[in-house]
Amino acid sequence: MNEGNNMANILTTRRRLLKGAGLGAAVLAAPAIVRAAPAPVNFAFFVSTSPFMIAKGGGWIEEAAGAKVNWIEVGSGAEINTGMAAGSMDLGFGIGSSPTAAGISQAIGYEVVAMMDNIGPAEEMTVRKSANIKTPADFKGRNVAVPFGSTSHFRLLGFLKTNNLSQRDVNVLDLRGDAMMAAWTRGDIDAGYIWSPVKSKMLAAGGEVYKTYDTLEAAGYVIADLIIARTAYSTANPTAVAGILAAYGKALDAYTKSPDDASVIVGKQAGVSAEMAKADMAEYDFVPLKTQLASAWLGAPGVQGKFAGVLKGTADFLVEQKSIRAAPDVAAFAKAINTSYLAKAVG
Amino acid sequence: MRPWLATALTACALIALWLWLTLSGVVSDLFLPPPGELWDALVDLVQNGYKSRSLWEHVADSLIRVIVGFGAGAAVGTLLGLAMGYFRTIDALAAPFVEFLRPLPQLAYLVLLIIWLGIGETSKITLLFLAALPVSAVAARDGVRNVSEARIRVAQSLGASEWQIFVHVVFPSALAEIFTGARLAVGIVYGTLIASEIIAGTSGIGWMILDAGRFLRSDYVFVGILIIGFMGIALDRLLLAVETRLVHWAGR
Repeated sequence: MNEGNNMANILTTRRRLLKGAGLGAAVLAAPAIVRAAPAPVNFAFFVSTSPFMIAKGGGWIEEAAGAKVNWIEVGSGAEINTGMAAGSMDLGFGIGSSPTAAGISQAIGYEVVAMMDNIGPAEEMTVRKSANIKTPADFKGRNVAVPFGSTSHFRLLGFLKTNNLSQRDVNVLDLRGDAMMAAWTRGDIDAGYIWSPVKSKMLAAGGEVYKTYDTLEAAGYVIADLIIARTAYSTANPTAVAGILAAYGKALDAYTKSPDDASVIVGKQAGVSAEMAKADMAEYDFVPLKTQLASAWLGAPGVQGKFAGVLKGTADFLVEQKSIRAAPDVAAFAKAINTSYLAKAVG
Repeated sequence: MRPWLATALTACALIALWLWLTLSGVVSDLFLPPPGELWDALVDLVQNGYKSRSLWEHVADSLIRVIVGFGAGAAVGTLLGLAMGYFRTIDALAAPFVEFLRPLPQLAYLVLLIIWLGIGETSKITLLFLAALPVSAVAARDGVRNVSEARIRVAQSLGASEWQIFVHVVFPSALAEIFTGARLAVGIVYGTLIASEIIAGTSGIGWMILDAGRFLRSDYVFVGILIIGFMGIALDRLLLAVETRLVHWAGR
């Protein structure tokens, strides 16, 4: 009986305590609501040797966003597409043009706000010297590795198609960076289509460049790394998006002015030596933000640039490969490229 | 309510919910494809295959990996387990490795297998083998240990040799637990299959699901999941059928 009473007492005290705590919390929370602390920005990025790492490391992105930034490290553009579709990413930095073309075709609600780089020769085929591969026909029956779904994959498939090779003639294997390096070291593969640092490592370990990019670019297989924003986020925070792009522009300027100093910072951020960072970055064409507004690239706001056609071509190819179901017309891609933030950032 | 009726009811409710969600447009195709699209995807896969290989090749490649990996892993594991159960010394020698390997997530040593064994079938099947082995070993060992002393004493008093006791008393008594272990192992091997097909895949249902997922082709992903799910049930039922034939006395 006594015990029961005690129990009841404890319960009431606890209830009272809880009530007090609830009130306290409400009082504490009230000013926060008034101040309306901005929601954190979910920012997907690749750890890469890019001038962007200067802006990230310097805290310039947080400053421009005016909010806390949740940095989400990703390993592929596909992860960004999934994250964007789920609404758990607001910005994606460095996503390849082929996952972007796939994402726009599937009407994931995001827009291309700027470009990071034109990939050019930075992604290229490396062949084993001893394998004696000189002509496209020499690839028959060989094991060629590439990370599936990447821009390199798009290029490699373009290479096979333009040379009338089927994916049965050439054994195309799906390998990510580390695994590709392991397979290369063991001698399981004779060629790999990828970017640095794996590319430079393979070149250093008995590989040589088999040049494909120039003819492929001429044939329309252009690849690039892009900056995308979830449309719901960018329309609600246009100033933040423009500010972030301006911060990236500042980092790009720092790199152009002094590649050596920039390479030290980028190398530290990406976990490679300054020399390696410098060599890697030299391969990419980091198109200046102002230049991107020209019709040869993304185009000024409201003007359809050449890049809409590149994305459309990429999407059509992905449909042919049965990677995506259908691609919309070029107008849909033009609409998904929104350079109004970029214009504000450079203006 | 009869059990089959309950099963039918949950299935119907699930399908109805699916129809309502997709056809009313509450959920986008990207997240959940409507039944019509799934059917189209299945027909398309059956007719045209997936990425330069027919659907049957993908299914067959996965099945071969599972059967070889599981078969070898369960066979070696069971033999090891029997020995561990019967001989204390072997148990002491092998137990640390088996106990360490058993709870280890297979993805943890996936990269090592690629480095050691390459990107071909060997590394994939070894991964499945290593997934099946410790479960089977532990099941067989426990099976042997749980054989009642009385039975062995009776056989001994009837003048049976050590070998005869093992073959006619210990092994049959442990068989029920060996099969339970095998069914458990099939489940684990099956779960590891997708991980094994991450390595340099261009074939297999697991790889198909991963590759389609990369482009958010949820229709192919769902078809792949259905195929892999039914394959799993079929394998389990097959083992159960063998078990009831061989160990028909179990549980009596």
